[in-house]
Amino acid sequence: MMKPVLSVRDVVAGYGEMTILNGTTFDVMPGTITTVIGPNGAGKSTVFKTIFGMLKARQGTVHFKDADITNASPRKLLALGLCYVPQGRNIFPELSVLHNLELGGIAAGADVNVPHRVDAVLERFPVLRRKGQQQAGTLSGGEQKLLEIARSLLLDPQLMLIDEPSIGLSPIMVQEVFSILKDLRAKGVSILMIEQNARSALEISDDGLVLELGRTRMQDRAQILLNDPRVGQLFLGGVIEDTAS
Amino acid sequence: MMNFTNLLLAGLATGAIYALVAIGFTLLWQTSQTINFAQGEFVMVPAFFALAALNVGMPLPLALLVGLGLSMLVLGVLFKRLLVDPMLRHGVLPLAICTMALSIFLKETVKEVYSAEASRFPSFLPGGNLSIFGTTISIQSLSIFVFALCVVVALQMFLMRTSTGRQMQATAQNPYVAKLLGVPVERMILYTFLINAALVAIASFLISPVYLAKFSAGETLGLAAFIAAIVGGFNQIRGAIVGGLLLGVVDNLAAAYVSTQYRGAVPLFLLIAVILFRPQGLMGRAEERTV
Repeated sequence: MMKPVLSVRDVVAGYGEMTILNGTTFDVMPGTITTVIGPNGAGKSTVFKTIFGMLKARQGTVHFKDADITNASPRKLLALGLCYVPQGRNIFPELSVLHNLELGGIAAGADVNVPHRVDAVLERFPVLRRKGQQQAGTLSGGEQKLLEIARSLLLDPQLMLIDEPSIGLSPIMVQEVFSILKDLRAKGVSILMIEQNARSALEISDDGLVLELGRTRMQDRAQILLNDPRVGQLFLGGVIEDTAS
Repeated sequence: MMNFTNLLLAGLATGAIYALVAIGFTLLWQTSQTINFAQGEFVMVPAFFALAALNVGMPLPLALLVGLGLSMLVLGVLFKRLLVDPMLRHGVLPLAICTMALSIFLKETVKEVYSAEASRFPSFLPGGNLSIFGTTISIQSLSIFVFALCVVVALQMFLMRTSTGRQMQATAQNPYVAKLLGVPVERMILYTFLINAALVAIASFLISPVYLAKFSAGETLGLAAFIAAIVGGFNQIRGAIVGGLLLGVVDNLAAAYVSTQYRGAVPLFLLIAVILFRPQGLMGRAEERTV
């Protein structure tokens, strides 16, 4: 059996006194898209922040391939081959598009040729090359999201955490973003995604994960979750009935 | 009456100094939400560091370097470590109030330790007058203006053209994302404090030969820098430049053509007008932040 690229085990984390993740456990298999779904407050974004070292895990472990990355710094994680595209707008509006991209290479080791990587990434994003000298704040919302994704690819990551990529984008742009994620998977990048638009996300995913109150309630093939009535119920505001499984 | 060219030039010279101070003020706000109400005293203090060095017999260039170094240590590193870092945890407002206390502390300390009298301060720039086309031009004003402008250009080049400069900008524009990308955010913030300390030291060495070094010199300077930063746009370096120059010129022209008595009031009129009609400042962008 293949070894997971990311494995999260019994992670407990939260803000101050408040515990959000309460023993979260799941795996991400290499070369797959795994979508995390769950109601508001389930701890989806908190999982990402904890994996990426922005929030301290009080208990539990996180492994990336064979390395223990529990509470490692973002800089170290980037160098190892993880990247994180958070929710919302995360560009530097007054820097040029090119300079924004280049900042994706800050954590690069001495062996990485950053200008070369910027060029390689721009191959896939012609619109960013065309607007390279513009201030990033002048791009449209969709283009800004593309810029963030492009920037996260600068260090050639093996695992991408992406939080709500479709939020606030036009339907065409959502399709564009999803097709980029599929291309990345075809190139062997594993993707862990949070998405409100659960149905469309599960349709392009291999695996799915249902998070509720900081615990993993279900983890299965995306296709199976799509057809599971309990998942539908969850998104209508219901709670999963305890089952024998 | 002084001729208009000279008034304008003197205004630009003072304005360029205001701009230096206002830029530092803006930088601190951008990267660490520090509203430094002691900024005026920060301009007053380096002159006394340099005077102390002169008094032990150092030549002027060396004394200025010592003054610059001490400023970066005391007004940069120590200011951040001993006051800003512990206070910022409690919020922007408690920190701002602390800087007010610091302003009084610095003023009184200089008065007690050095002197309550104004001291002459030597200029490192050329003085005298120059006649061009029958107009007499003050070389001192001209050289202050040019020197301050060079400093601003050098700073802009550093911020725009170097990787460290862009990491500093990234930290100012979005510290959370900067950290996600592996930018050493804490170090960038420290650099900002060092740059501010260097800017106020340079401003101090430029303005003290004109207005003398005095413990109370920071009162007007701090207010001027604050107004310049707000008039220009609190969150923009180019705003601080425009605000500083505008204020210097308006200030000088008002003193000559309106009344010296109203000299202090004119910048405040400018401030009120800008806040009423363009609250984000001349060059600034609207910003939402809960304080």
